[in-house]
Amino acid sequence: MRSPRAPGPALRSATLAAAVVMTTLTVAAQTARTAPSTYVPPRLSDGKTPDFRGIWQVRDTPYVNIEGHPAEKGIAAARSIVIDPADGKIPYKPEALARKQENYRARATSDPSLKCYQAGVPRATYLPSPLQILQSPGNLAIVYQENHAFRVFQPETRPHFDSADWWMGDTRYRWDGDVLVADVVALTDELWLDQAGNYHSADVHVFERYTMTTADTIQYEARLEDSNVYSRPWTLRTFLQRVKQAGARIIEDECLEDANGVRHHISPSDPRSLLKTDLSRRKKP
Amino acid sequence: MRILAICSVLIALMPGPATAQVPRLPDGHPDLQGLWIKSAGGFQGLFVGSLEGTNFAAPAVGRGAGDGRGGRGAGRGAGGGPPAGLGGFPPPQYEYTPEAEAEKRDRQQRRGYEDPEAHCHLPGVPRGLEQPAGLYPVQIIQDEKYVALLHEYVHDVRIIPTDNSAHPKTYWAWDGDSRGRWEGDTFVVDVTNFNGRTWLDMAGNFVDQNEHVVERFTLTDPDTIVYEATITDPTVFTKPVQERFTLRRVPKEQQILEYSCLEGERSLQHYTDEDGGKKRRAR
Repeated sequence: MRSPRAPGPALRSATLAAAVVMTTLTVAAQTARTAPSTYVPPRLSDGKTPDFRGIWQVRDTPYVNIEGHPAEKGIAAARSIVIDPADGKIPYKPEALARKQENYRARATSDPSLKCYQAGVPRATYLPSPLQILQSPGNLAIVYQENHAFRVFQPETRPHFDSADWWMGDTRYRWDGDVLVADVVALTDELWLDQAGNYHSADVHVFERYTMTTADTIQYEARLEDSNVYSRPWTLRTFLQRVKQAGARIIEDECLEDANGVRHHISPSDPRSLLKTDLSRRKKP
Repeated sequence: MRILAICSVLIALMPGPATAQVPRLPDGHPDLQGLWIKSAGGFQGLFVGSLEGTNFAAPAVGRGAGDGRGGRGAGRGAGGGPPAGLGGFPPPQYEYTPEAEAEKRDRQQRRGYEDPEAHCHLPGVPRGLEQPAGLYPVQIIQDEKYVALLHEYVHDVRIIPTDNSAHPKTYWAWDGDSRGRWEGDTFVVDVTNFNGRTWLDMAGNFVDQNEHVVERFTLTDPDTIVYEATITDPTVFTKPVQERFTLRRVPKEQQILEYSCLEGERSLQHYTDEDGGKKRRAR
């Protein structure tokens, strides 16, 4: 939510009264409309392009289930991040809902992210790991830490490269004032939207809006259109927080396969990722 | 007049152009940004046929796809090497210690399927750029603080700070840890902190956890980057290995695509004639 300017004394009591009403209405208001942000982001070296550079991360847990989930060990309960429809439910067609429920039951083994595949759009945005926005005048890319996925945002003037079947899709973007507006096609139907088996087909079209609402917050919205799976388009909204620790950077995230063929993420700060080659112990051919 | 004089002093203080006019960022450094593709030079080994010392796609008269500028349309899938002498860059020479020589030979002759690339792992440095000429481009995005290399091949990413900061102590990665600095108009990158798992190519050339690479990126004209890498590894090589090749600008109408490498990599059988690596998985 935007922080209003401090009102004059005469307005203050009225504002307080209104605040009570606002609190109860907050959820409804968020659902009903996108509040235009009054925050003006800094600019790149050209003095024009909004500067979204930095390392960002969603701190909530929509990666578990974008429709909300109960508390689990180590994870607090969370509401749905679906803001349209207002009930917070993805408007699946009946047969698609059945497949989603099947996915849910098999989630411990079927989630494509278990195989260290790239997460797709919008899932990559709200993973429990950071992303970095790289920018210079005329250039924009997002690097996601998980599985070192990246998307190079191409200007909207260039037609989509949509005769493909990709994990991270094909992205076009433009600036709508200070809002980064992107649309994404060519996503593969092997992707899930979260760990709960929510999904889309290969015909999905994702429309994203990135709005910097404070110096350290980006509001992220994605509308998904996919008439194979959904009865109508729907929209999710979540917030990216700036990672401000000194020296923070995206680190290498790579999966290693164990003896049973199961893949694991190993941190490059974990000594197990280091393989010391002791040549003298190798058998000579 | 006075303002003009100050301006000319500032211009004189800016890093002087080494060669032709090249584009520059507002901070005065050469603008390396764009989509680039390796055009010639360096290791060219592609298939098992190259493993017995006959470098499959080594520069040879009459082979190759023009001047390497054919871009991706011409380069992709063509598999041809560059024409003889293009760029004039000799292939790298590896001088191993006796133990490492035996290890290299064993990898080359028997354990090709252990090549981490066949298992979809990151290629390391300089192998990320050292892909066969004309196959996979790299997108460079640059600002005052970073030069980022976004490789199409296995979506390998290196975000290199330009502040010459110190390497971390507890970090071991496929791509190591890169710290950059500008030396005049050349971007110099110091890379250490490797995890000891990378190979330099498909022919068994390798390094261990002591690998140290110094890379030099020089924009010699608006459409050419000369790339040089010096690889040292005291437990593997008796003298530094030099790599040198050029990156050419990809025409504007082309874009970077996605190269995903998944389990069930179908190239694995190219690495060995025994069992395609199915029975013996690498690590």
